[in-house]
Amino acid sequence: MIAARRILAIAMNTWREAVRNKLLYTLLFFALLLIAVSVFVATLSYVERERILQDIGIAAIRLFGVAIAVFVGVGLIHREVDRRTVYTILSKPLSRTEFLIGKYVGLVFTVWMQMGVMIVAFAGVSLAMDAPLGAVHAAAFALTGVELALMVAVATLFSAFTTPMLASYFSVGVWVVGHLTRNLRDLGAASDSGAVAAITAAIHRVLPDLEAFNLSTEAAHGLAVTASDVLLPVAYGAGYAVILLVIATLIFERRDFR
Amino acid sequence: MSSTEAQHGDEIVRVENVVKDFRSGFGLRKKRVLHGISFSVRQGEIFGFVGPNGAGKTTTLKILMGLIRSSGGSASILGHDVRETAFRKHIGFLPENPSFYDFLTGREILTFYAKLSGVSGSQRAERVATLLKWVGLTQAADSRLRTYSKGMLQRVGIAQALVHEPSVVFLDEPMSGLDPIGRVEIRDLILRLRAEGKTVFMNTHILPDVEMVCDRVAIIVQGCIRYQGDTQELLVEGERETELVAAGLSAHSVVDLEERFAARLRGLGDRIELRFAEKNTDEMIRAVLDSGGRVVSVAPQRASLESLFLSAVENAEAPESGSALTGMGEVE
Ligand SMILES: Nc1ncnc2c1ncn2[C@@H]1O[C@H](COP(=O)(O)OP(=O)(O)OP(=O)(O)O)[C@@H](O)[C@H]1O
Ligand SMILES: [Mg+2]
Repeated sequence: MIAARRILAIAMNTWREAVRNKLLYTLLFFALLLIAVSVFVATLSYVERERILQDIGIAAIRLFGVAIAVFVGVGLIHREVDRRTVYTILSKPLSRTEFLIGKYVGLVFTVWMQMGVMIVAFAGVSLAMDAPLGAVHAAAFALTGVELALMVAVATLFSAFTTPMLASYFSVGVWVVGHLTRNLRDLGAASDSGAVAAITAAIHRVLPDLEAFNLSTEAAHGLAVTASDVLLPVAYGAGYAVILLVIATLIFERRDFR
Repeated sequence: MSSTEAQHGDEIVRVENVVKDFRSGFGLRKKRVLHGISFSVRQGEIFGFVGPNGAGKTTTLKILMGLIRSSGGSASILGHDVRETAFRKHIGFLPENPSFYDFLTGREILTFYAKLSGVSGSQRAERVATLLKWVGLTQAADSRLRTYSKGMLQRVGIAQALVHEPSVVFLDEPMSGLDPIGRVEIRDLILRLRAEGKTVFMNTHILPDVEMVCDRVAIIVQGCIRYQGDTQELLVEGERETELVAAGLSAHSVVDLEERFAARLRGLGDRIELRFAEKNTDEMIRAVLDSGGRVVSVAPQRASLESLFLSAVENAEAPESGSALTGMGEVE
């Protein structure tokens, strides 16, 4: 209960700091620009205008959402150590774990708020172009939200022990590979070599399977999704994020701030 | 020993054989910064932790604050291992050159720290306002910290260390960056803390401050404690000195006197001030007159912490002769 209050204090401050980050607005600006451009691109087409519009819009939200999560996320903890603001904060009755979780929660909140802005823009152009909006869109965005929370955990983990530069390379790497692991596993399974199959299956198991959060095809085509299509990935993403945060905490607890 | 010892109660801070190695080059190279230091701070005293640059003062304080982990030995505050966190609501910490979220105002940052320290919502605003007044920041309370000067940030640092009414306060160079008025104010604040029964641990190399406020001191040189004890005893038992001001001495004879009596020099226009061991006073006066100089004044000097400090540093460089100082007035 009291821990929650301290975590909240850190989280609120993280949010206040993040919304002052110029990079955040630059990324948000380009995301909104891309959503606006999707209208123009869609009008050029004679067929499937709504699908093109929503394909581009959803892609913009996912791509820029991840960019915000990673590039704002990697600096937050590093900056606290670099600027020595941790010295006074950690001398208070606050554990390093509470601090790290507070940073995480604040950042996830920031990323979700930005995503909210992008979704409003998406809904706006969809309505303007008479494209359908329904439960499947809500499901797709919910899972994108989970993916972003997971990516914030990835960025937090890396930023707990390395520089923002390296942490962003690693995080982007995890994101790219995370979207390919499924294909990789299927390719491996189809290969003649048992070793290749085993390795690709292992990669799929260890790295986050980010395609699990991808309902953009279903959304753009208005296909039906079941409750388990949403709930299973949510449980998977939450569990994965918790594991990453536990590792981040273990690393952070052992660090020397010098 | 002295009566002051009996009056002091429990040990508030206890450091035993603490060792710290800094690793570099992927942890392959190891540099020992603290060589098994031990000291203790008692209830209600102002404890000065003194030493030259790079001696290991900040490193020791960071270990006490749980910011870095010691490589050996044990450290506790109020009976708690320094790696614990809950007891920290009873301690305050001012780091060296403190730095804060500069997008917040003075009032906001203090409120934030008060929240983290568990100051209840109903008392927070009042407590923050009191602290802002204590450190003289009421005027600037609602400007962003980005616009604060170095000395103002130092004051914020002191305020955040005290915002939750801790019973033990740790200050790393509390006077740094402050103007003369600020120094006096902070010194008074530290004395007020003692009057309120709080325990203060301060790192510093400003020796007159130590002489003025500290009840006890430890001198650390190159990661070893060279002296630990009562400030007054240290000054009384230390070697007494004489200060002699002379005029009309040639440069040659000044150098000669400096060497013969191991004197410290200070030029005062056409005059020269010499400081040397009290026992040499008669001989020095004679030597000055013999070299054709005039004696303007002779004054006995209490041993200053400065001279003790300098000899501690010198002895550290020549460890064989270190016994003279460490044997003297040692308490533990
Ligand atoms: N991060 C670090 N890595 C390696 N060595 C370090 C590190 N920080 C400090 N040191 C070394 O540890 C020693 C003690 O440093 P420390 O900062 O504790 O000195 P200090 O007594 O506080 O000095 P000052 O009066 O200048 O503040 C120094 O020799 C310094 O070079
Ligand atoms: Mg220092």
